[in-house]
Amino acid sequence: MSRPSDLVQGTLDLLILKILALEPLHGWAIGQRLYQISDNVLQVSDGSLYPALHKLEHEGWIKAEWKPSENNRRAKFYSLTRPGRHHLERETANWDRLSAAISQIVRITEA
Amino acid sequence: MEIPRWWYQATMRLRSLFRGATLDRELDEELQFHVDRRVDANLARGLPPEAARREALLAVGGLERRKEECRDARGVRFIDDLLQDLRYAARTLRRAPAFATAAILTLTLGIGATVAMFTVVNGVLVRPLPFPGADRLHLVSLSPKSILMYQPGMMDATFVAFREADTTFQNLAAFTTYRGNLTGAGDPVVITVGQVTTEFFDALAVKPARGRAFLPDDGQEGRELAVVLSDQLWRGRFGSEHAIVGQQITLNGLRRTVVGVMPAELDFPSGAEAWTPHVIQLVAGNSRMFPVLGRLKPGTTVAQARAAFEATIDTLPDVPSREQRSDWTVGILPLKELLVADVRRPLQIFAGAVLLVLLIACANVANLLLARGSAREREIAVRAALGAGRQRLVRQLLTESALLSLTGGTLGILAARWAVPMLLALAPEGRIPRTDMIRIDAPVIAFAIVVALTTGVLFGLAPALRLTRRRFAGTLLPGGRSAVGGQERFRAALVVGQIAVALVLLTGASLMAKSFLRLRAVDPGFRPDNVVRLSVELPPSVYSSPQRLHAFHQSMLARLSALPDVVAAGSVNWLPLGDMHLTGDFRIAGHTRNPRFDVDKPAISPGYFRAMGVRLLRGREFTEHDSVSGLPVAIVSRTVAKAIDPSEDVIGKRVRMWTSAKPEVWQTVIGVVDDVKQLGPTQKSHPAIYQPYPQVSRRSFLSHMTYVIRTSSDPLAAVPAIRSVLRAVDKDQPATAIGLLTDSLARATAEPGFYARLLGAFALLAVLLALVGTYGVIAYAVAQRHHEIGVRMALGARGASVLWLILRRTLVLGAAGVLLGSGAAWLATRLLTTVLFEVTPTDPATFAAVALTVFVASLLAGLIPARRATRVDPLVALRHE
Repeated sequence: MSRPSDLVQGTLDLLILKILALEPLHGWAIGQRLYQISDNVLQVSDGSLYPALHKLEHEGWIKAEWKPSENNRRAKFYSLTRPGRHHLERETANWDRLSAAISQIVRITEA
Repeated sequence: MEIPRWWYQATMRLRSLFRGATLDRELDEELQFHVDRRVDANLARGLPPEAARREALLAVGGLERRKEECRDARGVRFIDDLLQDLRYAARTLRRAPAFATAAILTLTLGIGATVAMFTVVNGVLVRPLPFPGADRLHLVSLSPKSILMYQPGMMDATFVAFREADTTFQNLAAFTTYRGNLTGAGDPVVITVGQVTTEFFDALAVKPARGRAFLPDDGQEGRELAVVLSDQLWRGRFGSEHAIVGQQITLNGLRRTVVGVMPAELDFPSGAEAWTPHVIQLVAGNSRMFPVLGRLKPGTTVAQARAAFEATIDTLPDVPSREQRSDWTVGILPLKELLVADVRRPLQIFAGAVLLVLLIACANVANLLLARGSAREREIAVRAALGAGRQRLVRQLLTESALLSLTGGTLGILAARWAVPMLLALAPEGRIPRTDMIRIDAPVIAFAIVVALTTGVLFGLAPALRLTRRRFAGTLLPGGRSAVGGQERFRAALVVGQIAVALVLLTGASLMAKSFLRLRAVDPGFRPDNVVRLSVELPPSVYSSPQRLHAFHQSMLARLSALPDVVAAGSVNWLPLGDMHLTGDFRIAGHTRNPRFDVDKPAISPGYFRAMGVRLLRGREFTEHDSVSGLPVAIVSRTVAKAIDPSEDVIGKRVRMWTSAKPEVWQTVIGVVDDVKQLGPTQKSHPAIYQPYPQVSRRSFLSHMTYVIRTSSDPLAAVPAIRSVLRAVDKDQPATAIGLLTDSLARATAEPGFYARLLGAFALLAVLLALVGTYGVIAYAVAQRHHEIGVRMALGARGASVLWLILRRTLVLGAAGVLLGSGAAWLATRLLTTVLFEVTPTDPATFAAVALTVFVASLLAGLIPARRATRVDPLVALRHE
């Protein structure tokens, strides 16, 4: 299984924010969704997901709420806060710049 | 409305701090949920239940570690630990109440004294003057350095020329105060009046609460009849009347029109209750000097103003040459200097003294902590063995000392709240300026917290490092004890330091005390007991001619002499110990050169010397016959007599002064009296030439007069009768001062007395703390050597040799402390030079006495535990092991 676990610190944060921008989810579902929408490429380890979630919550970018889950158990659902949404926009823009720059460099070296 | 980010963060922080248990429970549930889903997923992939479960747990990577990581993500780990440490510290301290009480009490004393002193220093020296842009207010000074110039100032002519030439100041104003007699508003009363040029209020940037401030026109000659009232006077004397502006009041007999009322905050020049325009008369012989204040233009620096002033000086009139100027105060000073110059040095000395006391208190607590630390060695060793890192242990111990010092600091602030008013009450009246600025405010409390935390680290760090440096292995063994050598040396060093610092303080205090006693023993040249003094200031509007003034004085003296119990009554224009005197040169008939010194020139009535108790050495006093029409006569003091003729036999010789009625006329000497300490006991005796007041014609020499009345019984009992005499002679004239001459003299020595007592109190506190420290160390050493002493005694050592064993140690500590302290004191006491009177800062007798006292006291402190050592029961000591 391809497992790019060396996700740049901060990249995971960005991915979580992006996923939560679509709808509120609990931790398990976030991991699953990440796996799905990256066409089964990105898989975050169970170990690093929760500290990242708690850190984001403490930074005020996301908030949590206990709600019944799809199998009717109580689960902690995370969703974006307003400041978190702005933060995501800024970070996405940053990411676009950065990734554009990186892919350019990578192409140069290949050529 | 959008919820800001900090709100989410704050909510989380608070939840982490106070709902930690709930968060942990939720974390459990959240992770459990995840694991269960993983198990479900694994089961769905066809794994057997057991394997599905194991794989799920592995994927998470250890639930406990994950939880710990999540807790760390909360970012309050530090605070959690701190709270835990605090709870632990509080519990530990509660279990050792004697130790906690001793430490906190010591710290309360040290920090309380420091905070009280800082409150005063902050109010007097640090806090800005209460004017807008106070940092732009400065004094401009061009005046001789002389004890007669209480304030830096400028001559009128110089001021006018400088105001013309200057470009760096927005406004320049000259100001002074005088005592004004307010009549027609209730009983006649003497008030302090600010006499100010019309730019004054603009320079201070103070706006009147009603009416207007002065206009340039108010300062023109003949137009000076405006007056501005203080809020206090307006409320107190004019019933806060709304229509006050435009009304007239009578000040020194002059009708003046109220043009405005100032806001209540304005108290400048200090104590001013009203302000009148200062009219500058540029006439020859006007040598009056007044303080000058200026407000710098925005953006102009003091350096620029100073340079501009330097460049202008030589173009100004009445300015001394560059060489002469070394004895002058020339320059631009902060306005605050006017108020605080006198008290800066004493306050600095006290602030230094109080910090030394604090230092000793710190050393004491450090010693206590060390002693206690030895008892806690096991506890610390156990915690270290259970995995606590050294850093963590040090932090725990520091938290404990911080808790002690903050408790001490809090109690110290409370103590200061009580000590500051007491300090101010003990200080001689009117000697501490800006008392209204002295209060415990936010900066003071911030200072107290910083001091408390600093002291906490100061006394806590060394013991914490030392205690955790141990090799713990031996400590945990039954009966195990660690080597104590290093710690013992450290504690000994602390005690030596304490003794040294206490000795410095005690030396300083003793020098001050000696100086004070010298001062008290000074013979002022008169006998102040049983004398009442009463001063009047007769306004020119009513008492316009010398004849009227003479008539007033004559009438007063006649009535005063007739009072029962009055032995003698006299009058003088400038009383010794008063706030004014006049000096000038004189000539001696037959001498070609003027004498090299100036003399005081008091005008007195017959009976003055008898009333004052000034010794008549030769000749006679003035009598009623020494009148305007009589022969011009004078009585000289001993120094003048010596200058006329070394034999002092000068009756019949003649002297001349320009201030006499007819300057061309020589005055014949008819008597010789003692020199008098005109300016108070700290100053030199002043030579004087006395004249009978009827032969003096200058109005200004007669309008201010002090009556001295010697009584045969309690002088206080005579005061009401004396007051009624004044009322009978002129009901509109208030007494500008009335009281006992002994009080005036006591006031002159009150300040040094206060300083000596205050420094003495600090020194006593310091010595006491140092002795407690010495006692503690020796007692601890005895406890540590209990076993050894037991063995020695079992082997036949006698009490005396055991006593010597312990005492020898005290001896070494005491001697080291005394030597070190004497050296430090020798360097430090020169700071006292300006406040000592007839005592050198390195007075050998004082140094020797203090060194001996401290040495003996430290020996006594060691003697108590040493004697206890001799009573060690060898059996008990040995069985204890």
